[in-house]
Amino acid sequence: MNRPLTLVAVIVAAAVLGPLLLPWPYDVIDWGAVRGAPSLSHPLGTDSVGRDLLARTLVGTRVTLSVATAAALVALVIGVAWGAVAGWVGGKTDEVMMRVVDGLYALPFMFVVILLMVVFGRSILLVFLGIGAVEWLTMARVVRGQVIQLKQRPFIIAAEAAGAPPRAILIGHILPNVAGVATAYLLLTVPQVVMVESFLSFLGLGVQEPLTSLGILVKEGADDMDLSPLGLLVPGGILVTVLVCLTLAGEKLRDRFSA
Amino acid sequence: MLTLILRRLGTAIPTLFGVIFLSFVLMRAAPGGPFDGERPLDPATRAALTKAYGLDLPIHEQFGRYLTRVAQGDFGPSLVYRDFTVTDLVAKGLPISLTLGALALLLALALGIGSGLVGATHAARWPDKIIGMGATILTALPSFVTAPLLVLVFGLSLGWLPVSGWNDGGLPNVILPVIALALPYAGAISKLTRAGLASALAEDHVRTARARGLAPMTVLFRHALRPALVPVASYVGPAAAGLLTGAVVIETVFALPGLGRYFVQGALNRDYPLVLGVVTLYAGLIILFNLLADLAYGWLDPRARG
Repeated sequence: MNRPLTLVAVIVAAAVLGPLLLPWPYDVIDWGAVRGAPSLSHPLGTDSVGRDLLARTLVGTRVTLSVATAAALVALVIGVAWGAVAGWVGGKTDEVMMRVVDGLYALPFMFVVILLMVVFGRSILLVFLGIGAVEWLTMARVVRGQVIQLKQRPFIIAAEAAGAPPRAILIGHILPNVAGVATAYLLLTVPQVVMVESFLSFLGLGVQEPLTSLGILVKEGADDMDLSPLGLLVPGGILVTVLVCLTLAGEKLRDRFSA
Repeated sequence: MLTLILRRLGTAIPTLFGVIFLSFVLMRAAPGGPFDGERPLDPATRAALTKAYGLDLPIHEQFGRYLTRVAQGDFGPSLVYRDFTVTDLVAKGLPISLTLGALALLLALALGIGSGLVGATHAARWPDKIIGMGATILTALPSFVTAPLLVLVFGLSLGWLPVSGWNDGGLPNVILPVIALALPYAGAISKLTRAGLASALAEDHVRTARARGLAPMTVLFRHALRPALVPVASYVGPAAAGLLTGAVVIETVFALPGLGRYFVQGALNRDYPLVLGVVTLYAGLIILFNLLADLAYGWLDPRARG
């Protein structure tokens, strides 16, 4: 049983189902309890405008995790396609494609993401497209290395000798063998994206009100922590748990496939 | 060594040009402009301002003009901080960000190498396990969570240290920001040192040194540590880049007047020259740090000098 992933699954379930069971929606103001202390109807209290913090934390977790999953999938698609083509075609094409990756690696990438946010407006869709478009580099490198190794394996050479078209070899033989490593790096990309998204939201450049995300909640919790530290501790704790668990699970999987 | 530097510059200059070009194009493609305030400007004033900042020229001419000025170290006037040029703001903010980053890097190196040493010399015993677990958690803890937590504990609850402000770099004001900034990197450096030492201790030259009867401490520090630090050295480049980025959050949390704060304000207010200037500057710094890390790499591992 994979303990870190089980913990993440519990958090995901709470984030998806929790808001349905709570009496207060995340964006409704309880005028009777602005900056309220924890109580029966608001287990974590309310924020500075009287919205239920438990509901906001669960919805924020949901937003953060969906943005991260979507962005990691964008990174997966670009990275696998880029790396597979570069590794498979080889030669000049490979060199040019990897030069592009090297060049992008040298970018101050957080600042590029911030530029993207400023340019495309702070919409949640573009938050994840922007992050995904930057996070695919490691995936591309890993997949390329993997494909180059696979290319020399007898079963690929046999498939080529038998006259299989390159497309069929790539889809039928190469990609299934890359899937394991790609999954490991997908797991490792998710916490990376969570970090970037929370970083941006913390600075006010990510997800926008009335929607919320773990980064925004940590920021708001930090602003109001003299009132009650719960607003900082709970979203911060969920964030850190997700980051640590996914990193541990991803590293374990990566070590298994690279060994 | 010289060819290494030249080859690095050969890739650095196109990258830097690419950064300038990309950030320029993106900022111009952005909807909304710097003069879109709450109160609409009258058309004549607006036209005059647009002309004064050269925003009415065709885009390639704007880029050409911008590039020439950047090459001379002139990033133009800030559009939001009136009366300041971007270079003024950089001159005010950069020393603070660099101080913060340099102190954090030193602390991270000290903590990371120290704990890595302890871990490697106690391999698989409890100090190693605790340090390993701690390093993993520290690496995953983002500084925007640690920073408010540190403030909550040491600033608000215990009242030992100031909660925010720079106070001209007074020691009590610097402690919490530097710790918050350094911790994730200390974790990563600890892991790298631990792994590097484990493989260095298994190498032939270390076995030979031991066989000759050298004191264990001499073997550890003179023969094993230096090659073990090679991965740490190549991590310092990216870490320095990360510290600059991290400083943006730390400066926001602790209300420090560093460059990162100006950058965030610039990004929130669409202050094109400021954002472009800071991104260009950071790209240049990151390339420089990577070059320095490569040079340190050659110094630590003679085999890599080639």
